[in-house]
Amino acid sequence: MGVFVFIVWGIEYLDIPLDRLFGMFGRMGSTLANRYYPPDIEYIIDADYFQYVIETVQMAYLGALFGLALTLPLGWFGAYNVTPSRRFVYPVARFATMGFRAVHEMIWAILFVSILGFGMLAGVLALTFFCAGFAGKLLAEEIEAIDMGPVEAMKATGANLFQVVIWGVYPQIRVAFTGIGIYTWDVAFRAATVVGFFGAGGMGWYLKRNVQQIETERVAAILLSIVALVIVSEIVSAWARARVMKMK
Amino acid sequence: MNSVASPSDQARRDQAFESLLLLRRKSNVRRSAYYFVLLALVVWSIQVTIIDDTDWERMGSLGAVLKSAGRFIGVDIGLFPSLLVPAIETLVIASLGTILGVVICLPATWFGALNITPFKSVTYPLARLMMTLSRSIHEIVWALFFVAAVGLGAMAGIFAIAVRSVGFIAKMSAEAIEDINPGPVEAIKATGANTLQVVIFAILPQVLPQILGTVIFEWEINIRRSAILGLVGAGGLGLVFFRQMHTFNYHGVTSVIVAILALILIGEVVSHYVRKSII
Repeated sequence: MGVFVFIVWGIEYLDIPLDRLFGMFGRMGSTLANRYYPPDIEYIIDADYFQYVIETVQMAYLGALFGLALTLPLGWFGAYNVTPSRRFVYPVARFATMGFRAVHEMIWAILFVSILGFGMLAGVLALTFFCAGFAGKLLAEEIEAIDMGPVEAMKATGANLFQVVIWGVYPQIRVAFTGIGIYTWDVAFRAATVVGFFGAGGMGWYLKRNVQQIETERVAAILLSIVALVIVSEIVSAWARARVMKMK
Repeated sequence: MNSVASPSDQARRDQAFESLLLLRRKSNVRRSAYYFVLLALVVWSIQVTIIDDTDWERMGSLGAVLKSAGRFIGVDIGLFPSLLVPAIETLVIASLGTILGVVICLPATWFGALNITPFKSVTYPLARLMMTLSRSIHEIVWALFFVAAVGLGAMAGIFAIAVRSVGFIAKMSAEAIEDINPGPVEAIKATGANTLQVVIFAILPQVLPQILGTVIFEWEINIRRSAILGLVGAGGLGLVFFRQMHTFNYHGVTSVIVAILALILIGEVVSHYVRKSII
């Protein structure tokens, strides 16, 4: 009931023209059939485009890698049970993780483009921050769920902070961290296909150009290629995840 | 039986030890080969994406970079009152989009759960395709598509968010349904219930908390998404961000980001309490 009231109020508030809704499906169908079909496949079977695809993959790879590197301290400091200082480091790490994650990857991309100029460096950094926020939360939650026995035992032997983390915490989260890494790569790749939209390199730039030139058949082809690539990357990561699970 | 090992025994043991060592050395070699390949990939990627592709001249020295980053430090306080309406818009777009997404999810979940899908060979792949398509296309692209189809405005944003969230919600819900305890289903079927009754009385009670948790989680993500849909003409905070960026009012840009952070914080707090009250 409350949901219903909210829907009505929301539609009223946003001033949504409901009459457009009825014509929408017909119009969407004709838009698709007339303008986006047939996709211009020839346009994407092209060495130039292929190079952009490779660059997108590299950008996602580096972004995920740097992001995961940033995640290690963030996850460590942001896990309540092993953080070096609960009063100072923990809230800072938590807030940084939240901030990184809350700001959408597109906004990161725009900011970095405006600071560093066009190019893939901006894209890599945008993906790095995005991945750090995303994986940092997962890693912190994973660390909070570990068995504290070994950690206590290590502390009792007089091990210092780093020794505790390396020998007491890391072995327990190794497999989970690998899983998070694979997942992060997946997400980073999806984001990488579009960060170029605002000038941060990769195939997003192709997409933007053709969208703005209203070359809809080429846009359709590019979208198809993105879907195909994402499906491939999903198959690869599913395979990798299955292997990791077997190692467990 | 505890006699001294005969020489042949000893030799056999030595041999086993040797082969173990060899195996270990082999796996070590393989591992270092993996690391080497990974390292080479990193170096190559850095070379291509960062060193070659960056216009170092234009970027200037570190000082210049810091200076251009410094432009963003500072908040345009005067902008905040005018951010209230777009912020509410963003929140409403995210909520309506999530609700619509749940509605679209119903068939996708039903078809996508192996144990209740009606025609396994047709509907199951269809649902999986729907989920993959929904998740693999970025929200910006969906928004562009819907802006082309229904025109500028909040409606395009709602549809984009709805379609984008179908994949995640349907996938998690279908997996939850696949993991249910089949006992109650059998019991209710045995009383002569039809499919709808089985779904309502045997399946839903088992998976509802999990599905609600997923929906809340997705709602939280959708706030973040709807905050940028304005970049391509779908209303909300993104539009303000775009305008501030294009008028080079960098402090205003920071204000918009602060507003987005505040929204996300609200979303996180709400979802925390709702999830707690569900479980």
